[in-house]
Amino acid sequence: MERLSAYQRSKIRRLSQPKELAPDEEGGELNIVPFLDIITNVMMFVLATITVTFTATIDSFPPRAGGSSARPPTTPTLGLTILVVPEGFSVKARGGNVAPGCDDVAPGLAVGKTGNEYDFAKLTACVQKLKASSPDFKDETSVTISGNPNIPYQTIISTIDAVRSVPDPSGKDVELFPDVSFGVAR
Amino acid sequence: MNQPPYAGSPGGLGPTSPGGGGTPPPRQPAASMAVYKRELRREIRRRALEPEINFLNITAMLDMMTIILVFLLKSMSAQTASIPQSSDLTIPKSILTTEASQQGVAVLVSKSWIVVDDNQVVPVPGDPTHGVEGRYKRGGPNDLYITELASRLQNWRDRDKQVRASTGKDPSGSEAIIIADKDTPYRLLVEVLFTLGQTEFNKFHLMVLQGSKK
Repeated sequence: MERLSAYQRSKIRRLSQPKELAPDEEGGELNIVPFLDIITNVMMFVLATITVTFTATIDSFPPRAGGSSARPPTTPTLGLTILVVPEGFSVKARGGNVAPGCDDVAPGLAVGKTGNEYDFAKLTACVQKLKASSPDFKDETSVTISGNPNIPYQTIISTIDAVRSVPDPSGKDVELFPDVSFGVAR
Repeated sequence: MNQPPYAGSPGGLGPTSPGGGGTPPPRQPAASMAVYKRELRREIRRRALEPEINFLNITAMLDMMTIILVFLLKSMSAQTASIPQSSDLTIPKSILTTEASQQGVAVLVSKSWIVVDDNQVVPVPGDPTHGVEGRYKRGGPNDLYITELASRLQNWRDRDKQVRASTGKDPSGSEAIIIADKDTPYRLLVEVLFTLGQTEFNKFHLMVLQGSKK
């Protein structure tokens, strides 16, 4: 077999060196890095400018007609009704009007306004007290909310929030009256 | 280096044999072109780089990102409002953080119109403290039953009743989503709820924005 000369061997070594590809010749791949840069920037701007509003719904039912049962209930019921008036909250429970201060049965507003604002914290304390007044009311969760014709919807929603639950010392919500019905004032 | 022993150096000795001498080895004759080319091809093949991935393969990452994005948008769309907030309609805020219900007919009460399923039904007067105008109600200004609204709701209720019957749900009542402006007076709200109740809607979902207590 013929042998290669030193010159031929050196030339073969030189020519057989693998070629380094330039960065722009690599395999004809689509270079999407600039595209990804643009997308990332656009997404950051979109996320920074978008205003996301989370919604929730409060479930309510039409008022149930009373007197369907033939016998009167054997246990006393609270039958909580809150009337929102321009001056505050009038609360009715156990068939009577709750007195101012939420202590007794007497005419008047149970929870008046503080300054020019409705006192929702006092209302929460009042309904909590009424619920705790007897063990018979422990399982009662329905409340009827009614209002003067001019009471705005936001006040009604805030009233529902105030009577729905109360945080206990551990921070967990304890349900008070989450089942809301609306009273029809005629 | 991988050089073959020189042909002229017996015993495979290098060009300088012991004892010196200083005579250069005879030049090796060049191989033929065919042999040279064959050797060159063989060497090129031997030294060729293994095909390596020398670019960033982000296809798998993009697949993953797309799937995550789709799930994110889907879960967000269930909780977020697609209702334009304007001066005509500003939804009240509540501390409630439960998921919004999407079931039922959407009844929208803005400052200017009562809208059922994107159709304007009854105009809201400038001062809605006494509800909608008497001519839109069955028995005059003191009535709560809004005739136009009831007729629209009745159409919706009839369709929903058939759907409920065919899908095994309780057909005795339908649900409604109430989207009302935060300044809607209680009287107008009660008129809408009363009319809904009269047209066999037995569950209402009052839409609110999750937020701090106002």
